[in-house]
Amino acid sequence: MEELRKERIEQLVDYIMKKCLWQFHSRAWDRRDQNENILLKTKQILCDEKVALETPADRCYWVDAVLLAEAYREKYAWLEGLPKEEVADIMKGVHERMDYLTIDGSLNQELTDQHY
Amino acid sequence: MPYHLFKCSECIPERKEHAVIKGPGETLADALPLGYLNTIPGTISERGCAYCGAKHVIGTPMKDVIHLSHGPVGCTYDTLQTKRYISDNDNFQIKYTFATDMKEKHIVFGAEKMLKQNIVEAFKAFPHIKAMTIYQTCASALIGDDINAIAAEVMEEMPGVDIFVCNSPGFGGPSQSGGHHKINIAWINQKVGTFEPEIKSDYVINYVGEYNIQGDQVVMDDYFKRMGIQVLSTFTGNGSYNDLRGMHRAHLNVLECARSAEYICNELRKRYGTPRLDIDGFGFGPLGASLRKVALFFGIEDRAKKIIEEETARWKPELDWYAARLKGKKVCLWPGGSKLWHWAHVIHDEMQVDVVSVYTKFGHQGDMEKGISRCEEGALAIDDPNELEGLEAMDMLEPDIIFTGKRPGEVAKKIRVPYLNAHAYHNGPWKGFEGWVRFARDIYNAVYSPIHELSKLDISKDEIPTDKGFVTRRMLSDANLPEEVRDSTEMRPYSGNFDCLAGYEDREYPYMKTQPAPGAAA
Ligand code: SF4
Repeated sequence: MEELRKERIEQLVDYIMKKCLWQFHSRAWDRRDQNENILLKTKQILCDEKVALETPADRCYWVDAVLLAEAYREKYAWLEGLPKEEVADIMKGVHERMDYLTIDGSLNQELTDQHY
Repeated sequence: MPYHLFKCSECIPERKEHAVIKGPGETLADALPLGYLNTIPGTISERGCAYCGAKHVIGTPMKDVIHLSHGPVGCTYDTLQTKRYISDNDNFQIKYTFATDMKEKHIVFGAEKMLKQNIVEAFKAFPHIKAMTIYQTCASALIGDDINAIAAEVMEEMPGVDIFVCNSPGFGGPSQSGGHHKINIAWINQKVGTFEPEIKSDYVINYVGEYNIQGDQVVMDDYFKRMGIQVLSTFTGNGSYNDLRGMHRAHLNVLECARSAEYICNELRKRYGTPRLDIDGFGFGPLGASLRKVALFFGIEDRAKKIIEEETARWKPELDWYAARLKGKKVCLWPGGSKLWHWAHVIHDEMQVDVVSVYTKFGHQGDMEKGISRCEEGALAIDDPNELEGLEAMDMLEPDIIFTGKRPGEVAKKIRVPYLNAHAYHNGPWKGFEGWVRFARDIYNAVYSPIHELSKLDISKDEIPTDKGFVTRRMLSDANLPEEVRDSTEMRPYSGNFDCLAGYEDREYPYMKTQPAPGAAA
């Protein structure tokens, strides 16, 4: 079961790493922000939850989330019919893995630069 | 992901940390080339200087401006014939280039007086141009000329003119990238917010990090206008000086080349609260997704979908024709900074070529993160390569073609590897749906060039076949194609015009005239 969960997380992470750009903003705090907001909104879309769209920044995170959720549904048939809690759990794993690859485990020495 | 030390660089062991081979199952947390560091002594880099990055990359594409270098005339070499960022005002900014032509006596006695005289003369020579950018160079920086003070003096004496000063001398950073940074920050500090632009739509964007290479901006601007979106300013290709002073009024910053222009987007986000949306304008899939994202932001996604549908129906059969013939061709993707990630995945997905190497001359580690993530396993990623490493890599990887700049491109030609100019293009524009087909056609023409085939023969030793006659590209490319592909009636080669931009200025944009649909955001 754990193996399957890991494999699924890897599939979703691979897609982001290959097709998206939003995870690679140039500073650690910015990446954390992007990962958190876009992946939260993606989870909300996949779980049919309400997505907050109050501010322009919200809308900006949301458009990337819409396209990501759409691609996930299209490419990964296993997502369909998966209970909402399981989708949420997998997305939590995706978020953790993305934070590791792009921030905490990243070898990019510019991430902690104080200035842009 | 093992680091890779080139044989030719064994005497410069530090170079090992600048090259990585993407191994199976390995991630960015295993290895990442160093980047954006001073070039190591002993390695002859292909980089440009920080002045070049500020002026020749970002400043000069602004179209209605006198661009003046305060320094020796040689610094301003890059202009007509070397740069291809065209503009819709008869290319004023590439036809005319200005330098104060500093000489020894100015170094000794100062050049401020001469600078002022140059500024006044230039404005008088072109009375219809009211804006000027002045670029510091190594020479004027070292003697400490106060360009800002002179500019302020002239603006006071000549009401109606406006001057922007960019203090980014050649030594102001490890590469041209230092200059990108400096001019971004200088522009927002000095000019953004000093002009009130005309707002013509409920949906207003700045299109940032787009340099109108052979008309890329014109193509993208057309898509935006077809959706009813006003491109308030383009930073900086085909961009107008005053529009760029009004950047603070846009609802969204759409960022194309994050390497050269993320700084101004980040600052606009911080100072004015305008969000930053990164896009990919190259390739059917990424471009379609990008148009949808921008449209979604404003709540007009149906307009984007219509464009994507129309353009895909028109151009996809032509892209597929080339993809069938380029399948499996090996590419070294060796551009300056951002194209390694803009193109790495999509030329593989949509043109079927294999990217065997990516490199960047002036990219940062973030660019390598994007590029390595997007290319296939086994690819060799190199930061700031020198010429010998380039030759060794080509020897090792045997690419069918490389996409790079003129200097390394000419080196590749010498060892019979064709190249396409990744910065200035061959028969561009390469952005947009039609542009992407034009790029595929350029690749096809280079890979299957009969002349190029002939160049592989060495008349001093090879036997020259006398029994072979005339060959065409088609004969070379179709020789081993399966019949159903070769004779397909679904696919066809490029059928657009030689000048694919002709007629753009006469287009009508109904959405730009009528009231926008309700439910608009932002
Ligand atoms: S390095 Fe200095 S002198 Fe050389 S082109 Fe750049 S600004 Fe001019």
